[in-house]
Order: sequence, then structure tokens, then C-alpha cells
Amino acid sequence: MLPSYYEFFNPVKIASGRKALDNLPYELRQLNVQRPLVISDKGVSEAGLTKIVTGAFADSGITLGGIYDDVPPDSSSEVVGAIAKVFRQNQCDALIAVGGGSAIDTAKGVNILVSEGGDDLLQFVGHDVLRRTLKPLIVVPTTAGTGSEVTYVAVIAHPSRNIKMTFTSVHLYPRVAILDPRMTITAPPKITAATGMDALTHAMESVICLQKNPVSDAFAMAAIELIRDNLVKVVKNGKDEEGRLAMANAACLAGAAFSNSMVGLVHTLGHATGGVAHVPHGVAMSIFLPYAFEYNLEKTEPDIARLLFPLGGAEEFGRTPAGHRARRTIEIIRSLRQNLFELCGLPRTLKEAGVAKEKLESIAQTAVNDGSLTFNPVEVDYNDALLLLKEAYE
Amino acid sequence: MEKQYPPIEPGHKWFKTLVIKIVFFLLGRSFHSTSKLDPDIKREIATWEEGFAFMMKIFPDGPRMTVEKRRGILKYRGSAPESADLVITFKSLESAFLLFTAQCGTCQGFAESRFIVNGDIPMAMSLTRCLNIIQGYLFPSLISRLILKRVPPMPLYKHLVRLYIYLVGVPLGL
Repeated sequence: MLPSYYEFFNPVKIASGRKALDNLPYELRQLNVQRPLVISDKGVSEAGLTKIVTGAFADSGITLGGIYDDVPPDSSSEVVGAIAKVFRQNQCDALIAVGGGSAIDTAKGVNILVSEGGDDLLQFVGHDVLRRTLKPLIVVPTTAGTGSEVTYVAVIAHPSRNIKMTFTSVHLYPRVAILDPRMTITAPPKITAATGMDALTHAMESVICLQKNPVSDAFAMAAIELIRDNLVKVVKNGKDEEGRLAMANAACLAGAAFSNSMVGLVHTLGHATGGVAHVPHGVAMSIFLPYAFEYNLEKTEPDIARLLFPLGGAEEFGRTPAGHRARRTIEIIRSLRQNLFELCGLPRTLKEAGVAKEKLESIAQTAVNDGSLTFNPVEVDYNDALLLLKEAYE
Repeated sequence: MEKQYPPIEPGHKWFKTLVIKIVFFLLGRSFHSTSKLDPDIKREIATWEEGFAFMMKIFPDGPRMTVEKRRGILKYRGSAPESADLVITFKSLESAFLLFTAQCGTCQGFAESRFIVNGDIPMAMSLTRCLNIIQGYLFPSLISRLILKRVPPMPLYKHLVRLYIYLVGVPLGL
């Protein structure tokens, strides 16, 4: 059924495939870029991935304005300020983010400062505050999960104020996302599993949440099929380039889906658990996915049933009676989690993720103030959130 | 004779503008009354800082209203204030009309990008909870069921609060 009104927007060019990264100089030329600054982290550098990026510039005539590879796991305003300084000193004119969610969000923050001017990110916090086109940003994801390469959001911590600043603006969209299998091949099995479950959650929630629409559904369904066929494969064999590329595409498609349809209860609980108990986002997604879907079943049963087709495959869908399809979808999520637990130890419960039971109340309190709850189809109050957390505990 | 293509000045939607102004007045005074009488709203706003203000307005220069926390309760400040800590901007008069005539719930309206929120998201979530409670008072349960994800229970006390809102709160601003 069509929503009474919806919007869908995604202007990011996707360049995906074998040796895709080697087309980076061409893409930069199209954008009139002369001196891009690479933003990355130590893990990416140590894995040799920034070398692949610099290698792509051979004979290109483009000088790299520098490689800042000290982005910490949680991006902060201080790091953004430091990188903006390097950008200005080295007279750069574009940004290339090479990494996961933190490096990409950091690059988006740097882009705000170097394009809008000034050193204070706080004045740009919020929705649609940015008023001008920013410098070109090219993203090369090294994890297949966050989908940040195709979203218009950046979340950056402000340590001295102890807050997380959220920036949303169409100007934050990267110009190009480059999906090259070489860039995700070094991710270890547990990270691969957690980020893959993050992508699966983006896709699945985008199909049941209030802002769902036919375009985001199409992206989400394609993402789920790719995850069904490739997640376990790449957790078992990380060197599988075809599987890695498929997962990078799945994360990208799921990112485009959820940034237009938004996400709900799984993310609500995940954000709160990450904030209070520091559980990695992908791990939290994997833990909460079946519980939140069971909770939402009363209002979204037809949509969850529809998810059986991409998640279980045509045969599974065909042989499952219509009235049982939604339940079967949730069963498949549970069995996928069990499979990933056995393959790489991905936690199935909050207890396995190391969360102290006494933190559940604080997590529930944080959860009811998370913006994603607005988009969940079923009402969730403090008591409901606490009950869900207790169910997911052990 | 050559066909003319003269410029067209924008028109006005007098009726819908008037309706929205009335709704803002009704809503503003309801925030005031319920912040004194409804235990859930009292609990909710207890966490708000003194002086915190939120504004609802219609893009670009349509009706607007502001409510501010003063001495522990919410005060309707009318359309005079020009800024607030949390600003909800409806993209069009029609979008606001849909929401305030119960044709679309708050969450559905947000999901449909009918309005944008500038300010602290946890505060916006708290305000949404208050708004849901107030809508429970203002609309009969038949309508509330259509626009709210979960209709708040209405014990006898809440029926008395509803009477107070309509007979005292809105007309007298008490």
C-alpha cells in the first residue's frame, strides 16, 4: 500500500566492482578536485588499505593533500577540528573517507567546518542547518554495515559538553561511494558478522517502519537477498571477493533504504545499549532484531511476512502457509544469529555481550528518548522497553 | 492580440490559517492546564529546564505559537516570541491542517516529513509524549484511536481534567 505521502532522495553515485577504487582519480577529475585529503584510521592503515588508495593515484596527476589516519573509534569534535586544520594548512579541496562509520562521520564533520568556515561544529547541529553545497566527499567503506556512504547524517561526540551532536542535511551526502572488494576483505569474522547484521537490520526495519515507501522497499528487499546469500559465506571465508562485494552492495542498498524510511525499535534499543553499556552497534542490532520484530508483530505482520521472500528465498516463502510467514521470518533471524554465534562468537544476548543486569533500567530510560522510536509502528514506553531488555538479557 | 503571461501574486488561505490559529490557541492553553493537572505531563516536564521554550510554526511566515516552562508549569506565550529552544516547523499550512484536524497522527506526520524539528531530540521525544496525552484529552477516543499508536487510558479523573480544559483552561487561560 502506498503511503499517503513520502519522500525519497539519494544523490550518491555508486561505483562498485573489481578495481573500482582505481577509478577514484577519474571521479575526482569530474568534480574538479586537485588536492584531496584522505581521512582514515590506524586499523585501516595497518591493514594496508590506505596503500591501495595511494596506489590508485599513480600517474593520475592528482596530488594527495595528505593522509590523516588517526581517527579514533568514536569521532569527536576535537578530531574534526584537528583534521580541518590539516585540510586548510595543506590547501586541500576535497575529502576522501576510507573506513567505517567513524571515519565517514568524521569526514562529514570536517566537510562542514572547511566548507561553512569557522571551528565550532555546535552552530551547525540539527536538521537542515547547513545552507551551502559542501566540498566534494568521496567515501570508500571498509566495513559492510553502516551504509554511511549513502546517508545524509553525521553523529559526532562533543567531549567537553558530553553530548553527541547530530547533523542532518542533504548537503552531507557524499558525491561518490566506491565499493571495492579489496577494501572489506581484511575485516575479521566477528566484525564482518556484526556489521552484516547491522545492514540486515537497516533493511528489515526500513520495511516495517512508519516512513516506509515503495522505493525504500525496493532497495531493502535487494539488500536482504544479498545478505541471505553472502553473510554466512564471508564470515566463513573472508577472502571471498565476490561475497565481500555483495555484502558491500547490500550495506549500501540498506543505507539508502533506511536513510529514507528511517529505522525503529531495534535501533532505539541499540542506540541506548551502545550509549549506556558500550555494546558495539552491530552486536546490539543482532541481539535485538528478533525481539523487536516479535514486539512489532501485532501491527506489522503483513510486512514481516513479506520479508520471508528475500530472507528465506522463494521456495521457503512458497511452502510456508501465509499465516505463518511472519513467524517464520523471525525464526530465520534467530537461526542466522545462532549460526553466527557458532561461527564467530557473535553474542546472542545482552549477557553474552557483557552488559550488567543493573544497567537495564538506565538503558530503558535512554531508549524512550531516542528519536528513532517515533518511526516505530507500535508505541513503546519505559515499561515496554525494560521488558524487552529483560527478554534479550539471557 | 498577443497573449499575455502576467506574474501571479501568491494568494491566501484565510480559512485554514484561521483554523490553525484557533488550534494553536487551544493547544497552547491546553498545555498550560494539563501541566498543572495531568500527572504524566507533570512528570514529563519535571525534567525540562526552567525557561525551556518550544515553538510550532508554519513555513515560511504562517501562524506560530510558543509555550514556555515558567515556575514549574507550561505557559502559553502566544505568537510574540520569535525564537525557542525547540522549533517545530510545518512545511506547509496544509501539512499542519492535516495534523491538527486529526487526519494524521504526530508520529505519522513526522514519518511523512510534514514537519521538521530543530533542537534537542530527547526533548522533542518528551514533547511528543506530552502532545499525545493532550490529544487524548482534546479528541474523543474514536478519533484518538486513529491518530495515536496507543490511546492513553481515560479514568474518571482524566474526564474531569478534560472538562476543566474545555470549560476553564481554554476560555480563561487558567
